Amino acid sequence: MKNNTLHVALIEPSQIISEGLTNILLKSKQHYHIYKFDSLLEIDSSTVKEKLNIVLINPSQLYINKTDYYHYFRKIIPNAFLVGIIYSFFESRIMESFDAVIKISDSAENIESILDKLMKSKSQFRNNFLSEVLSDREKDVLVQLVNGNSNKEIADKLNISIHTVVSHRKNIIHKTGIKSQSGLTIYALSKKIIHIEDFAAY
Amino acid sequence: MYQIKRTFIKPEMKITDLFFENPSLLLMMEHFDLNFILNNKTVEEVCRDNNINKELFISIANLYNGFLQVNESNLGIDDLNLIIKFLRNSHQYYINEKYPEISSLIDLVHQENDTPEIKLVKKFVREYFEDVAEHLDYEDKTVFPYFLSLVSPEAEKKSATNVSVKIYSEHHSDIESKLDEIKNLLLKHITLKNDRKLRRKLLLCILELENDLQIHSIIEEKVLMPLISKVELHHLNEK
Repeated sequence: MKNNTLHVALIEPSQIISEGLTNILLKSKQHYHIYKFDSLLEIDSSTVKEKLNIVLINPSQLYINKTDYYHYFRKIIPNAFLVGIIYSFFESRIMESFDAVIKISDSAENIESILDKLMKSKSQFRNNFLSEVLSDREKDVLVQLVNGNSNKEIADKLNISIHTVVSHRKNIIHKTGIKSQSGLTIYALSKKIIHIEDFAAY
Repeated sequence: MYQIKRTFIKPEMKITDLFFENPSLLLMMEHFDLNFILNNKTVEEVCRDNNINKELFISIANLYNGFLQVNESNLGIDDLNLIIKFLRNSHQYYINEKYPEISSLIDLVHQENDTPEIKLVKKFVREYFEDVAEHLDYEDKTVFPYFLSLVSPEAEKKSATNVSVKIYSEHHSDIESKLDEIKNLLLKHITLKNDRKLRRKLLLCILELENDLQIHSIIEEKVLMPLISKVELHHLNEK
């Protein structure tokens, strides 16, 4: 069930629009988990940040006092889609920063299909570029992790930067769905990446 | 069985119709300590007969029906006892029913597959359940009694608690993410022999638990904690 649920953040100052949109989403076939926020800053400090698939936002909340928060958004939530809620005039420069837009004239079905298309484009992206198979380098990092090495130690041993280690780790977690060291050990064993004889702690 | 339908529950609906549609509502009834003999009563009647705030009942029932939003503004201090009873009963369900069920299924898996990784999975699961049990025990013995003391008439007025919403949600996200790992390991990554029935049973069992845990967290974070903040604020203003 969890994988079918889309986690949506909603940043919309108008209560009518915000409630209306929430209702439309909750009644649709797709299962949504909706979180309401007053600002992007609030999302940044929230624990749901990493789960978010879509951020629905009123453009006025993305450009406050002529400051562009788009890059800030991409930095804090790199994996979510940004969807504008449009009911007044905004410059095309602003409109271009959205992955999709919902207009005030859209019907419930329209809104549903806009979000649906968006998510499909993402899953195609995922299928192409993020298969669940670990690359050789990721396997090397995994072995080091299982042996209890820190990021720094791994970087030294494999002669790569700490930054690269961190990004390999993220990919491993993303591909396997497993975070903890003991979980990763079990994964590595079952995929024959490590063998029980090499594993001292057993 | 675990299932989610999308009927948005309203006071005038017949409760047994809702059970037929989504049997996991029966689990909710257990958590509420309510019997199932309901003679075609409506949701509203069931609440009235049992002296339950219908806003609370309907909100939680709708969580079970997949509407993961709660409006706590209609809930008051009087509801606290019932909410805590509900949460305590769900703890019992996890510890006495769900965890043994999952453990024994994994034991069966182990019987069929005596491999190092399954041994480690058993250890992983056992340690996970121990951690969770410890956390639930802390809630039952420390957190909930403190909350109840805030609303009891003879309560000495305490000013603040160190139980924060943040600590709460961190604990829970950890509980949920470990369960996710167990699910991924057993159902995605590890190769098993003779596994069809066992995997089906395990998956259903874990999903049932996962669904209830998710609702549990929402109730604690979106209903219980805001209510406690209200009570604490009230005490502060009295001082």
